[in-house]
Amino acid sequence: MAPLEAHGARAIHVTQEDIRRLCEFLYRRTGMSFDDNKRYYIDRRVTERMAATGSESFQSYFATLRSDADHEIQHLVNAFTVNETYFYREDHQLRCMTSSLLQDIVRRKKNQDPIRIWSIPCSTGEEPYSIAMWLMENWADVDSHNIEIVGSDIDTRALKAAADGIYGARALMRLSPAVVDRYFERLEKDEVRIDPGLRDSVQFTRANLIDRSDMARYRNFDIVFCRNVLIYFDDASRRIAAENLYDCLRPGGYICLGHSETMSRISPLFSVCRFPEAIVYQRPEADRDGK
Amino acid sequence: MPFIKRGAATSVPDSDADNPAAHVERLNSADAEIRWAAARALGGQADAVPALAAALGAEKVQRVREAIMTALMRVGNEASVMALLPYIRSQDAGQRATAIEALQALPSAIMPFMPALLADAESDVRILATELARNMEANDATHVLCKLIDSEPHPNVCAAAIDVLAEVGTRDAIPTLKACAERFAGTPFLPFAVSTTIARISDTQG
Amino acid sequence: MESEKTRSMPRARILVVDDSSLVRLYFRTALEKGGFEVEQAINGIEALEKILAQAFDLVVVDVNMPRMDGFSFIRELRATAGAVAGLPALVITTEAGRQDREDARTAGANFYLVKPVSEADLLRYAAILAGVRA
Repeated sequence: MAPLEAHGARAIHVTQEDIRRLCEFLYRRTGMSFDDNKRYYIDRRVTERMAATGSESFQSYFATLRSDADHEIQHLVNAFTVNETYFYREDHQLRCMTSSLLQDIVRRKKNQDPIRIWSIPCSTGEEPYSIAMWLMENWADVDSHNIEIVGSDIDTRALKAAADGIYGARALMRLSPAVVDRYFERLEKDEVRIDPGLRDSVQFTRANLIDRSDMARYRNFDIVFCRNVLIYFDDASRRIAAENLYDCLRPGGYICLGHSETMSRISPLFSVCRFPEAIVYQRPEADRDGK
Repeated sequence: MPFIKRGAATSVPDSDADNPAAHVERLNSADAEIRWAAARALGGQADAVPALAAALGAEKVQRVREAIMTALMRVGNEASVMALLPYIRSQDAGQRATAIEALQALPSAIMPFMPALLADAESDVRILATELARNMEANDATHVLCKLIDSEPHPNVCAAAIDVLAEVGTRDAIPTLKACAERFAGTPFLPFAVSTTIARISDTQG
Repeated sequence: MESEKTRSMPRARILVVDDSSLVRLYFRTALEKGGFEVEQAINGIEALEKILAQAFDLVVVDVNMPRMDGFSFIRELRATAGAVAGLPALVITTEAGRQDREDARTAGANFYLVKPVSEADLLRYAAILAGVRA
């Protein structure tokens, strides 16, 4: 196979077998798989990452990838995936929330405890605001319950942007004009801003998923959206984060992961729940005894 | 709008956060929730390894066992490896799998134990032990796995070792692999596994 | 001959479940040569998730997998609500004794093959079992 150029650097030799080996590693590690017609695309991204990491050979890059030095796995996956955030992303999970999860949560709820929903990491806020809008638009019982929505992230600049609620027009691409009208005001330069009422409906806080004492301050959530982050943690951090999230959920509470994530690579603490709209995971309502 | 904002963080942090002795005591609580919190609080505490190991032996609740194993994994020293090792023989598939996951994440700490594990009388143990080489540096992994394959009579054990080599191995493994394919020539799977693996690793120097 | 027949119809879809990447590759290579469309899963949980999300005609599952073995997986599958519970399952076992045949049957497997599995056997039984639900 001809050597592939990497941005004008001298050609770095990457073979089909190298790519198979890398894809096999990525699949085992993250669950992502790539069929043969995506292979060319992968070649390009791998040689880009080899250049970016100063790797002189595939062998040294693969060692870097395997050891996940400087979060290389995340860098490589980011190179493959479209990283735009926008409102109503992965809306099948939002649909699952209003069609299936909430009725189960409400049925089990005692007293007038609010329904607590957490988006972590929330980045610049599209996800928690989407949750709020979706509930308003799609849940018949939305006015019969107190609902708390929290968005948390480790990045305080992202949190500030989230609280400000200003977005580019591209973030609206999944929203109907009616929804945009109801919840956004148009600003100059093709930007929009979430209406104050909705901005006020979400609480933004700084929290680190891996920090037990951070996470110990959060309890009794009914639904947690924790998308596209757990799979990139190292072995110990993944377990710690999963145990933290377990504690943050009410018994029977639900956790939604990212589109290509599976709990089978993250933690054995949660049960798999199949609903018509999505597969989500649940903190068991009671402890299981082992043998 | 029906959305309310109260303090999102509603609970008070543990006042015994820096008191390992208190947590060690709580490993013996009758309440699983307290044992769980204690195990979690002791994560990474090398002095707590004996107490964690003892608690693991007695623990019946699955999620508490998982938390204790995480805590031991986070210590990551020889004592914690020794505390985790017996569980690769557990009758409970979940315990076995977690023990392997935990030990797999400790490639330097597990290394001194590899020769004995790869020579274990039980083929199932030898199979599980090959997984422990996955996060090792390529030369180390290649060395231990080839030593295993060279004298291994059981085809499933060879297959398991070859699967790890396909990911981790260097071309130093090629002679061992070729000899293995010869020993099992005429069987359906192993020659395929060997030729696939050789194709993957032949560019990789030791 | 098999691939001629299947070329004019949508290809049957098979999910291969095994923790070993080389075994999955071996099975996938053989089954694709036989005209099947093949997906993979590394463990029972991932397999259940894929089965719930996409249509398959057959699942081929190894009995010796960590955390959830092949028999437990088939039991879980059979206990699932809906049509997927009836998905034909071919289990790959290591022993051929009577107890293992019993175990395979009680778990709800449709058939079993003993390792090491030849390409010819795999294709023959995959074709039969994947056709069961047509």
